[in-house]
Amino acid sequence: MREFIQFTLGGISFGMVYAAIALSLVLIWRGTRILNYSQGAMAMFTTYIAFTVIGHTGNYRAGFAAALAAGLVLGAVIERTVIRPVENKPPLNAIVVTIGLLVFLEGLAGIIYGGQYRSFPPAFPITGLRAGSVALGISRNDVFVAGAVLVAALGLAVLFRYTSAGLRLRAAAFNAYAARLLGVRVGRVLTLGWALAGLIGALAGVLVSPATFLYPASMDSIFVLGFTAAVIGGLDSPVGAVVGGLILGVALNYVGGYLGSNLVPIFGLAALIVILMIRPSGLFSVGTSRQV
Amino acid sequence: MADQPALAVEDVVAGYGGVLALQGVSLSVRPGTITAVLGANGAGKTTLLTTISGFVRPRQGRITLDGADLTRRRPEEIARAGLAHVPEGQGVITELTVEENLRLGALWRHGHTSRAEALADAYQRFPLLASARGRSAGTLSGGERQILVIARALMARPRVLLLDEPSLGLAPKIVAQVMGLIRRLRDDTGLTVLLVEQNARSALAIADRGIVLNLGTVVAAEDAAVLAADVGLRQHYLGF
Repeated sequence: MREFIQFTLGGISFGMVYAAIALSLVLIWRGTRILNYSQGAMAMFTTYIAFTVIGHTGNYRAGFAAALAAGLVLGAVIERTVIRPVENKPPLNAIVVTIGLLVFLEGLAGIIYGGQYRSFPPAFPITGLRAGSVALGISRNDVFVAGAVLVAALGLAVLFRYTSAGLRLRAAAFNAYAARLLGVRVGRVLTLGWALAGLIGALAGVLVSPATFLYPASMDSIFVLGFTAAVIGGLDSPVGAVVGGLILGVALNYVGGYLGSNLVPIFGLAALIVILMIRPSGLFSVGTSRQV
Repeated sequence: MADQPALAVEDVVAGYGGVLALQGVSLSVRPGTITAVLGANGAGKTTLLTTISGFVRPRQGRITLDGADLTRRRPEEIARAGLAHVPEGQGVITELTVEENLRLGALWRHGHTSRAEALADAYQRFPLLASARGRSAGTLSGGERQILVIARALMARPRVLLLDEPSLGLAPKIVAQVMGLIRRLRDDTGLTVLLVEQNARSALAIADRGIVLNLGTVVAAEDAAVLAADVGLRQHYLGF
């Protein structure tokens, strides 16, 4: 029982990182019907920026803020420069562009920062928390990771539901034609969507890198699991992305805990394949009517 | 300038690909009037509206709204200039609630009343929307959706309202209600309307002017009563 609780709590922390990547993918998918294969690489790059800032200032918070700001800018710039020309084109064009971007960003990071593994600092101590004499299997940093993603997800929910910008984002995602008829500048709205995705992805990068080390390909496996989480939840559903991330994180932690950690990547991929076979629209998708 | 038309289309040539659906169309709409655009399928009626609202770029000609040139501006900028276009069929954003649809209509607006007042006005004028405000717009019937898109278009206080086939797919009784609504809006608020209709008889019944398009050209532009009385024209182009 004690093990079960430890694996569950630890899984929630990892799951929230997958949820953050999944959220960023959902944000972009809803707006532009593009799957951003470079989301992990973008997060890796902004984490290097945080790494540099922390190295120079010795201040974790400055690095954290720099990563988020860089994510926002990187998302917007990428949308404006390389994505805009492939919007409303055959899907293959966008796939080629985002995979190209992934290769480009990882190559660029290798040139600038080198290929060696670097340790990235956690926000809080990683010593295990205890409830009385019982070890919970998580640290204060794990709590911070889960809390930070939760706050970001709630922030997005408030933005979408209660603000004018959120209404525009949803209108443009659901029916770009009608939105333009009503004077919504859909181009700017899509840029905002990519910027927010860049921000959430950057958050995931900073949060997960203490556990994975930082190197040019460090986000690749995280991206695959984040994508799996998005598919579990349905690529259209922000709530589904968070729930999908949690389900995946906890399930994989049971696999790692009970069966052995070397099985985790295989189970992650197996989960992706099974979900795509039995319920490709995901558990939370709002219907298939929009799959043109 | 009392003589300035609210909307003027001058010698517009436009179309998709190699097909020119509009071959030099000119028309003008006086403020506070309803102008019906009639004609058979393929006459160019819908292309005329999509060209005015900017989704189709004219190859030639000029379009002005209260004297301001709209030609070649983008659809969202044309909407912000005060032109509301209610498209055929697909205007409601079904995934949003009725109220969210209405709020979208007032993202930008002319005149000085607040968005909250605009919303209150809409609910007062259209009580059925008030009772459905929190429901997803996808749950509305066809007639209710038509009323919602018209109400949403009015949220911005447009200078000109373009209506594309508001009667399409509606039962005759609902068509009469929608037509009556358009007429009342013109009478009460001085709304300027360019109305495209397949259903020529009910359109002419509420319109001030009628324009008949055939194969991309204007073949008649008359007072609505004159058009309705012209048996030859009616039988030849309008089929009633």
